[in-house]
Amino acid sequence: MLKGADVVLKCLRAEGVELVFGYPGGAIMPLYDALEGSGVRHILTRHEQGAVFAAEGYARVTGQVGVAMATSGPGATNLVTGIADAKMDSVPLVCITGQVRSALIGTDAFQETDVFGVTLSLTKWSRLVRTMDEIPEVMAEGFYWARSGRPGPVVIDIPTDMLKAKKEFSGPVKFTPQARPAEAKAEGGFSFTNTIVTMLQQSSKPVALVGAGAKLSGAIPELRRLLDDLNVPTFATVHGLGAVPPQSPYYLGMVGMHGTRAANMALHETDLLLVFGARLDDRVTGDPTRFAPYAKIVHFEIDPAQLDRVRPCDLPVMGNLAATIPAFQAELRRHSLPDFGAWRAVACGDERAELDPRGLAQPTIRFLDELFSHLPEDNVVIADVGQHQMWAAQRYRSSSPRGFITSGGLGAMGFALPAAVGVQLAKPDTCVLCVSGDGGFQMNIQELATVRRLGLPIKMVIIDNKYLGMVRQWQQLFYQRNYAETDLSDNPDFVEIAKAYKIHSFRLNEDAMREFPVSRETGDEIDRFLQSPEPELLVFDCAPEANVFPMVPAGAALSEMLLEEEPSP
Amino acid sequence: MQAFTICYRNTQGTLMRILNAASRRALDLSAVRAEPAAHDHEVTLVLDVNQKQVGQLYREWLSIADVITASSGAIRTAAWTAPHPPSGVGIEESRAAARA
Repeated sequence: MLKGADVVLKCLRAEGVELVFGYPGGAIMPLYDALEGSGVRHILTRHEQGAVFAAEGYARVTGQVGVAMATSGPGATNLVTGIADAKMDSVPLVCITGQVRSALIGTDAFQETDVFGVTLSLTKWSRLVRTMDEIPEVMAEGFYWARSGRPGPVVIDIPTDMLKAKKEFSGPVKFTPQARPAEAKAEGGFSFTNTIVTMLQQSSKPVALVGAGAKLSGAIPELRRLLDDLNVPTFATVHGLGAVPPQSPYYLGMVGMHGTRAANMALHETDLLLVFGARLDDRVTGDPTRFAPYAKIVHFEIDPAQLDRVRPCDLPVMGNLAATIPAFQAELRRHSLPDFGAWRAVACGDERAELDPRGLAQPTIRFLDELFSHLPEDNVVIADVGQHQMWAAQRYRSSSPRGFITSGGLGAMGFALPAAVGVQLAKPDTCVLCVSGDGGFQMNIQELATVRRLGLPIKMVIIDNKYLGMVRQWQQLFYQRNYAETDLSDNPDFVEIAKAYKIHSFRLNEDAMREFPVSRETGDEIDRFLQSPEPELLVFDCAPEANVFPMVPAGAALSEMLLEEEPSP
Repeated sequence: MQAFTICYRNTQGTLMRILNAASRRALDLSAVRAEPAAHDHEVTLVLDVNQKQVGQLYREWLSIADVITASSGAIRTAAWTAPHPPSGVGIEESRAAARA
């Protein structure tokens, strides 16, 4: 005889779960009571949102399912932002929530929330457990859906009486989904390959766009081989960074609202766009009616819901990239393609290759360049949301597909610090660099306690411009400098706050970045910071009105990017 | 107006996810009928949609875990013009029954 809580933990172990992140409370107490000796290590964060972001960080860097636990009511609702984030960014996540006991459900009992209903539109799959007997099946099915196809979040809500009840347990089960009629038919072969080759032969300006699907599918080696064969201008979404080695001669960097000029221009001019595992959301496309206006689109995608969202594609290729890319490449190698050299010379030429030189001189960009250049090879950079996120994405140079982690689709401020906790626990020997803004850092600043308690050697950087910088930038450019409620000049002293958490911290002024190359003392200080075996916080004082360029204004075409500040009309 | 029929396994929340695909796009749910069909369930929705939304809805429905098929067709007039609740049951009668 086992309690429901023991069954849940045995099912977690059967799914390969070693770490869960959570915060206890009334309805989930039986599960916490059963943790000791279960083989599942629990990481206590200081807020449920910290737990779910930490679970996401763990999942994003490992590709395994992240698990977060919370109690009913406010515990469960505090998970919601992380669940939405996991849905947008295709993160495999299982959230286990305690619920009030079965007899009280629907009575507005203390700490009762319909978390099943609240998260229905944010989850890939969810269940409110009705009997203790169904716990093994629910756990197996939940993990299956979290991992399968386009990964995503799952919620399993368990009434507290189910966790306490005792029954015979015959062991964890496996879930096998019933195939749909359409899926059964689809296994006949890859007829699309010929069509794409023909489209390439008829094209004179083909390009490739790489998204998160490349790393999620595990098809990075296959993708890189294919791109080497294609040798066409290639760029990545923010989640595709690292999928293509940045030194590849055909690679143009990040595309979209704050993408490189070269990438955006190539995307605007292309006549054939090959998309590998990207959603084509508005931050990538700009004005959808003027997105890749001359191009036919071939969209490699695993999730049917992502096709034709913004603009109809000419050829959808449904399936896992690990299967579709090799099929395409095999066909490609049987044919010859036109010489795209002239197009490559224009798209990848020096004229378009870099940021505006005035942008490069900006101290914050120099600081990030300096910081990244001192990183050991084995590193993961986690960026929060805002200007610093885009600067970091623009300046990040790594061939590690899971090396740059950020909340891209949802854009959830406060993501980085708790996500870094999950990343560092998954990769204890890796240099984990967490880059935040002063606004976002304060949204989950309580997780400094988690960092300290666990002694995680996370290197935290706050780019402190004493503003909600990205919003302020928009206010400057599009709202006549009406800086409504974005002034954070009364920020606390982050160095002193870190000290209160017993975390070593120091401040670097942007003046240190005005000389180029930076002084030896500054370089040594950055080296010491990155190599420290302890957690550390570096506060970089940044000019209040520094802006991120290039920038495509919302609703504009990618070709209409701003390269520098223009006066408000 | 177009009628869509979605066949699904009647697991927790599946019908709500199907309906949510329409409601998140602020589409009026003019008529909804859900019922058992063979071994599974099916729901028929009558929606006023444009061509782009049709494609989006289909793909979103098919990405739901327990949806089996989605199809569309003409509105079956007889089925959809019937008063609901059935004409044999007036609202007063329903109230009386509930009070009893």
